[in-house]
Amino acid sequence: MVRGQVLSGEFGKILVRQKSDQALELGELLIAEAAEKKILLQVTGLIYGSQISQQNLELISGMKLENNLPLEFMDPKLRNYTLAVTKSLVSIESKKAAMAKTLPHFFGEVRDVTKEDLSFLTKPKTPLFIGKLRSGSKTLDMDIFLEGSDVFAHHILIAATTGRGKSNLTSCMLWDTTTKDFCGILVLDPHDEYYGRNKLGLKDHPRRENVVYYTPFNAPPGAKTLKINLRTIRPAHFNGVVDWSDPQQQALNAFYKQFGNEWIESIVLEKPLSKGMDFYEGTLAVVKRRLLALLDLEFDGQQLYDKGVFALNAGETTINDICNELESAKTVIVDTSGFQSSTEILIGSLITHEIFRRYKKCKTDGSLAQKPVISVILEEAPRVLGKEVLEKGPNIFSTIAREGRKFKVGLTAITQLPSLIPREILANINTKIILGIEMAPERQAIIESAAQDLSEDNRTIASLDIGEAIVTSNFARFAMPIKIPLFEEFTKESRRGKETTISSFTGVKLG
Amino acid sequence: MKFAHLADCHIGSWRDPKLRHISTEAFARAIDICIEKEVDFILIAGDLFQTSLPAIEQLKGAVEKLKELKDQGIPVYIIAGSHDFSPSGKTMLDVLESAGLFINVAQGSVEDKQLRLNFTIDPKTGAKITGLLGKRAGLDRLYYEQLARENLEEEDGYKIFMFHAALEEFKPKDLEKAVVHPLSLLPRRFNYYAGGHVHYVKQFDKKEEGFGMIAYPGPLFPNSFKELEDLQRGGFYIVEDDRIEWHPIQIYNVHSISLECNHKTAEEVREMLLDEIKDKEFNDTIVTIRLSGTLEAGKPSDINFKDIFTMLYDKSAYFVMKNTAALTTKEFEEIKIEAKNTEEIEDALIREHLGQIKMDNLSVEKEKELVKALVRALSIEKEEGERQADFEERIRKEVKGNEFLE
Repeated sequence: MVRGQVLSGEFGKILVRQKSDQALELGELLIAEAAEKKILLQVTGLIYGSQISQQNLELISGMKLENNLPLEFMDPKLRNYTLAVTKSLVSIESKKAAMAKTLPHFFGEVRDVTKEDLSFLTKPKTPLFIGKLRSGSKTLDMDIFLEGSDVFAHHILIAATTGRGKSNLTSCMLWDTTTKDFCGILVLDPHDEYYGRNKLGLKDHPRRENVVYYTPFNAPPGAKTLKINLRTIRPAHFNGVVDWSDPQQQALNAFYKQFGNEWIESIVLEKPLSKGMDFYEGTLAVVKRRLLALLDLEFDGQQLYDKGVFALNAGETTINDICNELESAKTVIVDTSGFQSSTEILIGSLITHEIFRRYKKCKTDGSLAQKPVISVILEEAPRVLGKEVLEKGPNIFSTIAREGRKFKVGLTAITQLPSLIPREILANINTKIILGIEMAPERQAIIESAAQDLSEDNRTIASLDIGEAIVTSNFARFAMPIKIPLFEEFTKESRRGKETTISSFTGVKLG
Repeated sequence: MKFAHLADCHIGSWRDPKLRHISTEAFARAIDICIEKEVDFILIAGDLFQTSLPAIEQLKGAVEKLKELKDQGIPVYIIAGSHDFSPSGKTMLDVLESAGLFINVAQGSVEDKQLRLNFTIDPKTGAKITGLLGKRAGLDRLYYEQLARENLEEEDGYKIFMFHAALEEFKPKDLEKAVVHPLSLLPRRFNYYAGGHVHYVKQFDKKEEGFGMIAYPGPLFPNSFKELEDLQRGGFYIVEDDRIEWHPIQIYNVHSISLECNHKTAEEVREMLLDEIKDKEFNDTIVTIRLSGTLEAGKPSDINFKDIFTMLYDKSAYFVMKNTAALTTKEFEEIKIEAKNTEEIEDALIREHLGQIKMDNLSVEKEKELVKALVRALSIEKEEGERQADFEERIRKEVKGNEFLE
């Protein structure tokens, strides 16, 4: 259907006159023919046009308003109209897309985009579903997939103001990846929302054997109680978690060097260090106090007791178990809802350190190609990737942001405030899923670091409704407008027909 | 209330004639202690026997002690473990239960596709006991997943849950790759969780949220070379009013020697071993010798163990055993084989070593087939409950039935 006509403009700002019976929308996708190619256009702005001068328009308006005169325009469809400012996204030729480098035909017709036009958007080998293609506010019947193994390794940023659908998007992505064997996903879940303890969630997945849920409290049947043995913690795990002074950091290292994996107990029990390794009493007292508080331990002067997730006698294999599960392409959800932020980050740090170490080793011995890519989902990412945090020194998450892609370990950073993440790190995040963002500085931070040119999309981003998003990625041909389905709708089909194997209970005397 | 908690007795586990009686003896010793301590009842949390159909000799010893308990009026409550459970239902546990020697507490009914367990109430104490059997490779997990929990959790009184499985949260590093269950699969609000299957002693005094005391007594006697090294002895718990005490069972002393043999010759290793034992006495002691590393010269078989064993037996050792699985030699060349499956690797290795069997009229091709047939025949495994003699006869028949092995 003809929607308008190209009439003027320049590359990047092509003006299209809207056909009078049509209503173009911001973000809408259109097709304009150019020689043997088609050019995919996107509406980035809408303005009024009129053959009548502005002065006359204002006069006519005044006469209608003030004198209530029944004035009519002559040929109103011809004289007054809407102009759409568009930009070319790609040029399409023989089902292949390339960067657009030409203008569409002058006075050429502009029409709706069809499935046929977008046949270059094929399903990749390791498909990661992110939503359906959207043209303005219309959702097209076209699933959008990115190359999951690349996208996860090169990090993802999900940015949006509260209530715009970050959790819904993450839930849909997790539901999708749980059936895929190219990726293992670690979710640090501070709101305990993805497993769906009391609502629809990943526990309802037809392949729920691929979902592992760790929770410190009241684990539902089949879930694992989160216990981490104290002896699996090393001083480096605290980087980015606790801001130690230099002497405190040195004390940690000295105890670790002397007592190995019993270093925390040794600090608490005030075991003496070798000669020459002297620290002020006050320094050691502060370190001890902070460790007790952070790890939720209690010391009665004689014996050490664990009160929380960090255990003296349990959880010896938890970190390894989680890493094994991730290496088996499972989705591992760690419920961190009951923890302070620092505890949550420490747990994330412990797991991520180990998985990164393993994958580095795999790279060295040549076995990395057989491993699934691993992504760590970080809510409120500036807590570990923020400028303020990183000024105090790097942590495992910033290391992964910089080097992870070489080792198939990536981050999926979720935030409302992308501007708090340093530019260098934002630039390393090669896929950005942008949902509605109201604050201009946040939009600006994203636009400046996007894989595609979004300089004209500021208003479009501000106008994104709930569930609407723009995906910009090094692994996409253009910045794709998408609509993310509602999690309940998205999962409805696959939830159907789930059957439980009923055991015969051999060995139990049944009466 | 005072009760004993045993598990993993594995009666019949050791096959060597000198060790065969040990598991029965350990069981008898534990029962004697239970009687002496006047326990109200005894729990056996799986794997009373090594197999579902134990040999008569071991069975007799166990039955005698179970009968003694029955005569003393001390009830025994059991569940089957991964070793003495049989999917076919043919298990000696059923026979002994029919004889009234104990009660299998894994009882219930299926309602709305869920397993609803019943409580067995101890008549003297009123303790309410139930539990689930253990199956190999974690196959009992489905039972837990389909377990009706409400009736179990809401029941009042002193409740005991018996189970035969390792728990995810408490497994040691040694069991990292084992199939285990998360704690959350167990029903909550029981006073005591009598665990089996895990061969290390562990109790969790600090109760997990919603759970009572969880305890594993370990085996009554170590069941393997490594367990002898690690545990030295077995034991069981006696629980009285929430106080738990582990009672060791020491049938023989155990002395473990572990030597790292890198850069040593076979002769030097022999001397190291002799040095290790020369100033010691080994009265009634089981001695384990573990050697590891790479010998500089000579093969593991060149180490003259005869001298060492003789010396140990002269010093009154009860039994000596060695493990050289981790001992290699530089004299063996590394063989690199590119193969897709086990059969291809076997073929390549057989080809590599052809010509070593000296027999009349044995062509290289025939020798290859002969070796392959032998590998096949000797890879037959003993079936559950099969007697050793029947097993040997079956292998003999398999060998005889093969044209290359006639």
